[in-house]
Amino acid sequence: MVPLEAFQVLSAVLFAIGLYGVMARRSAVLIVMSIELMLNAVNINLIAAASHLDGMGNWANFDGQIIAIFIITVAAAEVGLAMAIILRMYRNRATVNVDEINLMKW
Amino acid sequence: MEWAWLIPVLSFAAVPVIIVLGRFLTGKVSHRSAAALAIAAILGGFIVFWFVFAGFLAADTDTPGCETGVGTEALTCNYKLTWFEAGIPDALTDSFDRIHLEWGILVDPLTIAMLGLATFVALMVQIYSLGYMHGDPRLDWYYAFHALFIASMLTLVLADNFLLLYIAWELVGLCSYLLIGFWHERPEPREAAKKAFIVTRIGDVGLLVGILLLWSHVGSFSMLETFAAIEAGELSEGVVTISALLLFLGAMGKSAQFPFHVWLPDAMEGPTPVSALIHAATMVAAGVYLVARAFPIFSESQTALYIVASIGLITALGAATIALVATDLKRILAYSTISHLGLMMLSLGALGYTAAIFHLLAHGFAKALLFLGAGSVMHSTEELDVRKMGGLRKVMPITAILFSIGALSLGGIPILAGFWSKDEILIAVNKELPLIFIVLTLLTALLSALYMARAMFVVFYGKFAEQFEHVHDAPKTMSITMGLLAIFAIVFGLVALDLPGPFKGIGYFIFYHEGHGLEFVIWLAALSIVLAIAAFIYGYMAYARKSVNLEGARQRFALPLKVAEGKYYIDELYQWSIDRVVLSFSRFIAWIDRALVNDVGINGPADVTRLLGHGLRRHVTGYVYSYALAMALGLIGLAILWWIVST
Amino acid sequence: MSWFLFIVLSILTLGGGLGVVVTRNVVHAALFLLVSLVAVAGLYLILFAEFLALVQVLIYGGAIIIVLLFAIMLTRSAEYPRISDNRQWPLAAVAAAAVGVVLGAAFLDNSLPQTEPNSPTFGDLANSLFTTWAIPFEVASLVLLVALIGAIIIARTGEDNR
Repeated sequence: MVPLEAFQVLSAVLFAIGLYGVMARRSAVLIVMSIELMLNAVNINLIAAASHLDGMGNWANFDGQIIAIFIITVAAAEVGLAMAIILRMYRNRATVNVDEINLMKW
Repeated sequence: MEWAWLIPVLSFAAVPVIIVLGRFLTGKVSHRSAAALAIAAILGGFIVFWFVFAGFLAADTDTPGCETGVGTEALTCNYKLTWFEAGIPDALTDSFDRIHLEWGILVDPLTIAMLGLATFVALMVQIYSLGYMHGDPRLDWYYAFHALFIASMLTLVLADNFLLLYIAWELVGLCSYLLIGFWHERPEPREAAKKAFIVTRIGDVGLLVGILLLWSHVGSFSMLETFAAIEAGELSEGVVTISALLLFLGAMGKSAQFPFHVWLPDAMEGPTPVSALIHAATMVAAGVYLVARAFPIFSESQTALYIVASIGLITALGAATIALVATDLKRILAYSTISHLGLMMLSLGALGYTAAIFHLLAHGFAKALLFLGAGSVMHSTEELDVRKMGGLRKVMPITAILFSIGALSLGGIPILAGFWSKDEILIAVNKELPLIFIVLTLLTALLSALYMARAMFVVFYGKFAEQFEHVHDAPKTMSITMGLLAIFAIVFGLVALDLPGPFKGIGYFIFYHEGHGLEFVIWLAALSIVLAIAAFIYGYMAYARKSVNLEGARQRFALPLKVAEGKYYIDELYQWSIDRVVLSFSRFIAWIDRALVNDVGINGPADVTRLLGHGLRRHVTGYVYSYALAMALGLIGLAILWWIVST
Repeated sequence: MSWFLFIVLSILTLGGGLGVVVTRNVVHAALFLLVSLVAVAGLYLILFAEFLALVQVLIYGGAIIIVLLFAIMLTRSAEYPRISDNRQWPLAAVAAAAVGVVLGAAFLDNSLPQTEPNSPTFGDLANSLFTTWAIPFEVASLVLLVALIGAIIIARTGEDNR
């Protein structure tokens, strides 16, 4: 069997990759994709924990899966909104690069 | 007598009414109502004064509120009301822990004398102003200031505690500022008003410090309590001397004593009736009054008395010499006032309490008369330079006669008021002070007669100056008031005599420690009579008949003349010291303010903040990914911190 | 067997992820993301989370990737084939690696008592979701509704263009 630590390290690495994408990419669309990667990393972690650990206190042992369901729900909503904002931004400023959207400074 | 407070209050009440009416009424109606109100108020005060006087004469130590005064040993009546109390109620037992302030009035012979002089002269001056200030566009303000001025002065002489006295003292200063600068359209009155205010202010600081010093040792502002404490020897000799000198500093400023005399001649820029008021009854009398009022303090300190006498003598002699060479009629009178104020101070310093107050009154009537006469001349001729005048008695005989009475009275011609009071001063000086003082006092008396003779003969007698042919005499309001004053200038001296009836002479009314009748030292009286008459004869020869040629004397004494004409260059000295010392020091302070306080103290933190802001705002790039990076770095930092703490 | 699957799926997941963050082509990035997400679904299967695997494929593989592709298509511009990273990418790489190390170290440092991989039945999951988690579930549906309306309002060619 594969131990929990393997999944945890996998999720940490995936999270780091997603974080790098958020910090390094210019296109807003790619930033949204990177955020999806980070969310997936979290989900892997949650589901692995749900599968490998007993419940504690009021928590059932599969509550990680339920939280993952909520995360997927919120991720769907977030992608929808993010895409609407990106479209709006593109229409107003003819670009989706976040380094050209820097009015909020000084 | 309890109603004496009504005297100033009437005039105080008139002030706002005049100002408010002046807002609503216009033109002549406003002027007439203003004048009517002010005159009615001071007339009311004058009438109340007589009731107070009568009440005081009828009173004795059994009358409620009256007792034998501390120091003066004269009947002193004190009526007071609690003003306010401050402090902790628990500490009621210890008077030093709480402040108990009272309004109060003090009625004693000194107050009575001052009230009489002030109300009478003010009444005369205000009526006179009807003619003199006729048609002035700001007549309502003029009368409002006048009423405020005289009300303040009356409060000053009635005050029974030093705090109230100080308030009135400052109000008098303020009003003199307002009235001297009344014609503020021209630059000279503005400057003169500022000068008067600032110079007297220097003295006022001394007065305030003196009052507070006394308060800190006595624990009360009340004059009677202060005098009682000093009488009982509760204060050390040094404190008494210092507080006396500080009070005298205030008196020097107000009474234009050397070296603070410079404001008074310049104060001539105000309307002439104002000068009359200032010189006779209010402003300058306040200083002499203060020394007389605080005489129980002064009399305890031989040093203070000596200084008062010396300053008085220096002032009297110096001002007399300047008056002799001045060419502006009003300035001659101004220096004459300074000289006579010096004589009063000298007299006080020589323990001549009665003589000083007597002279204050006699001089007040005569000087008011002289100023009103000068005002009349000025009103008619619009000329003040005595060198251009001459023989004016031809066109203005009434003014000429009245002015001459004033001049003769002040010059010390026998049976006129000035003679008696000056004689009293000479006797006091002769009795108490070294020989040099009496010699110089006699010299001052001679000079005083001489410059009065000069002013009188040059202006009204001698060769008629043709350009004044169409000049008219003073209007009735002016000549009648002058006439009333002239009567006093003639007969007032007789109060020194033991007249038939209950009144035994001024020496038994206004006195310090014990009353005394008219003293008469034959050789002094004879000498002063000879000097005065000689001076007037010489003046007549030199200035009216021109039978004495002055050119020789003028050339022989060229240098002293020049110095005297330059007013001993005291104004220049002050100007120099202000330019060189005060202003350079001020510039230094201003530099400190600019460089240290402003640039370093205030702009410094501002600059640091601004520079920091300029630098730090760079981190707000506006790029989303920068913020994300910052979050990641923050996370790493927290992890490192946690790791450090946990291991 | 599970180790083999785990390694293969890990490689696919991480490879897809890396592809997303390093490729120069947006459409390639979306396809890399698809690979990664499907591989994650496979990982869920190893963990016996069949329902989640199903949901992952449906929502991520279906809906989200499609939305992203639409967005790419609608915001197409001349530079799309050659998108670049911003100036701070080296620092970002270091920081991301450091965060990964921090997370990994945190996980490895706090090992917990483990059981055999197990999974709830669909019934348990549904019971829990509609009893214990009923209110969050309703809130989540509300969030979806609001996000939907918001997205329409933001993205539509509104009156402000008139």
